[in-house]
Amino acid sequence: MNAQLRGIFDDAGARGWLHATSLDRPDEAIALDADHVVPMASVYKLPLVIAFAELVDRGELDPREPITLRPEDRTPGPTGLSIFSDPVTMSLRDLAASTMTLSDNAAADALLEIVGLDRVADFLRRQGLADTRIRRGTAGNLRELVRRTRADDADAALAVLADNDTTDPSGVYEAANASATTARDMTTLLRALWSGELLSPDQTAFVQRLMSLQIFTQRIASAFPHDAVRVYGKTGTFGALRHEVGVVELPGGPTVAVAVFTRAARADRRLPRVDAAIGQATRYAVDRLR
Amino acid sequence: MLTERHLQIFVALADEQHFGDAARVIGITQPPLSQGLRRLEALVGAKLFERGPGRVQLTPAGAALLPYARRALGSLEEFHHAAGAQDPEGPELRLGLTPEVPPALGAAVAAALPSGRVTVVTAPTSQLLPQLTSTRLHLAVVLHPAVLDGLEAGPITLLPTEALVPTTLHPDDGVPLTLRELDGLPIAVRPRAEAPAARDLVLDTLDLHRPTGGTVVVTDERAALAMAAAGQAIVVTPDSSLHAAGLGRHPIVDDPLPVRLRLVWPAARTPSALLPDALHRIARALAEPSS
Repeated sequence: MNAQLRGIFDDAGARGWLHATSLDRPDEAIALDADHVVPMASVYKLPLVIAFAELVDRGELDPREPITLRPEDRTPGPTGLSIFSDPVTMSLRDLAASTMTLSDNAAADALLEIVGLDRVADFLRRQGLADTRIRRGTAGNLRELVRRTRADDADAALAVLADNDTTDPSGVYEAANASATTARDMTTLLRALWSGELLSPDQTAFVQRLMSLQIFTQRIASAFPHDAVRVYGKTGTFGALRHEVGVVELPGGPTVAVAVFTRAARADRRLPRVDAAIGQATRYAVDRLR
Repeated sequence: MLTERHLQIFVALADEQHFGDAARVIGITQPPLSQGLRRLEALVGAKLFERGPGRVQLTPAGAALLPYARRALGSLEEFHHAAGAQDPEGPELRLGLTPEVPPALGAAVAAALPSGRVTVVTAPTSQLLPQLTSTRLHLAVVLHPAVLDGLEAGPITLLPTEALVPTTLHPDDGVPLTLRELDGLPIAVRPRAEAPAARDLVLDTLDLHRPTGGTVVVTDERAALAMAAAGQAIVVTPDSSLHAAGLGRHPIVDDPLPVRLRLVWPAARTPSALLPDALHRIARALAEPSS
């Protein structure tokens, strides 16, 4: 069975780590090195938004509280507030929406600032996610990358990672240097969220809805060209890393929580074969759990 | 029975304080690590670590035993070294070469190996990599980019390539040609499964610069040369010695299809003969093909 999964990733020129489990039958799971600790890239925004929703449940944060972000204080990135030119005022829950659906770096770092690394760590500890560590936000990651590549700025540093003819600077893809998790920890988190015991019904629905509005559909969702199948997800992309964790809901069941982490051999920014392999591997796992 | 692996698990967990990280350091997955720790604790008759959420900490018993475990592991490493030195012919080094390595370059790399018994095998990159992971090979030159899981790698060497073009298609005048001008015949490529990422990079580069002309899959360079001699294909090769009657050799403008090579070796259990300066010398032989 794992040979088939490995074959999907090998053929795409990537290393893959996967855990998929049926939310209806918890004892059934498909795993490929599911306990290997991997750098999680923007997948960290999923536990961040869930931790935020929990603080709303506890009354510690007001989801409607407005916050103004000036361009010079915002983390760069390819989507959302990161690409705007002028100051933006929005509520905390809208920051969460932009963080989850667009993987908005600026919104995510602003939200992380408010939630705090310590409260995220506390949340992970209480959920028993022992292999998950969120060390810093995207701004911190980019600073670390600039330092390791000895580049002038983040764009130049990312260009170094995107070059097939140069060696990656050491440590760039080391889990020990970055926010990291395991595939199993992420499906554990999704199971807790879907069980309804983690958050109030309102906040559970809030987070699930944002995951269902995920705009990047070329990974998990790409393998389910059926409107009847509902897909919820959060992606992560950084250099050669391409990930997605999410939930696939088949009409008539099962509902499957899945976490797929990959590291591509090639450095190119666009690697549709690897995106598609994440979908194919998910599809393979989901079909085995039917 | 107490094994070397038990000691490795003990020391790695004490250093990393994290099950996943410790497993990665040893090069195993987490379930055998947890199982090994339970066996070791049963052998010792005491709990060595407190497993808290997110963190693993030494118990007083663990802290008391750790220095002995470190010393025992150190002695075992010395034993492995000494045992290697007892072999009259020295330890055997097994080198793998991906078939895209030109013969003269493969010879230069092998000649740079430390003196002793050397075995060389040629196999596609996708076959060499698992043999490195299982340490059946000690060292290999593979195509880049490739998935290097648990392997160390040297710098990337770019070998420029030239086109061997049938003179029926273009006169043998040695002028540089663009990829776009090489669309009169399919370009011979080796099977994708031999190195998916590296092959896709070549195919995607061809698609970008050369929308027509196509490719033809050949099993090896011998077949490619024969196809070209029969006027059926263009060969793109890093091997300056490759030639056949009826073919002209042309540089390709901007060298868009270099052969990317990389020296790789297993991260763990590197043979003692492959000390850093030996590796450096071998990497240099790969990087400076002419010297």
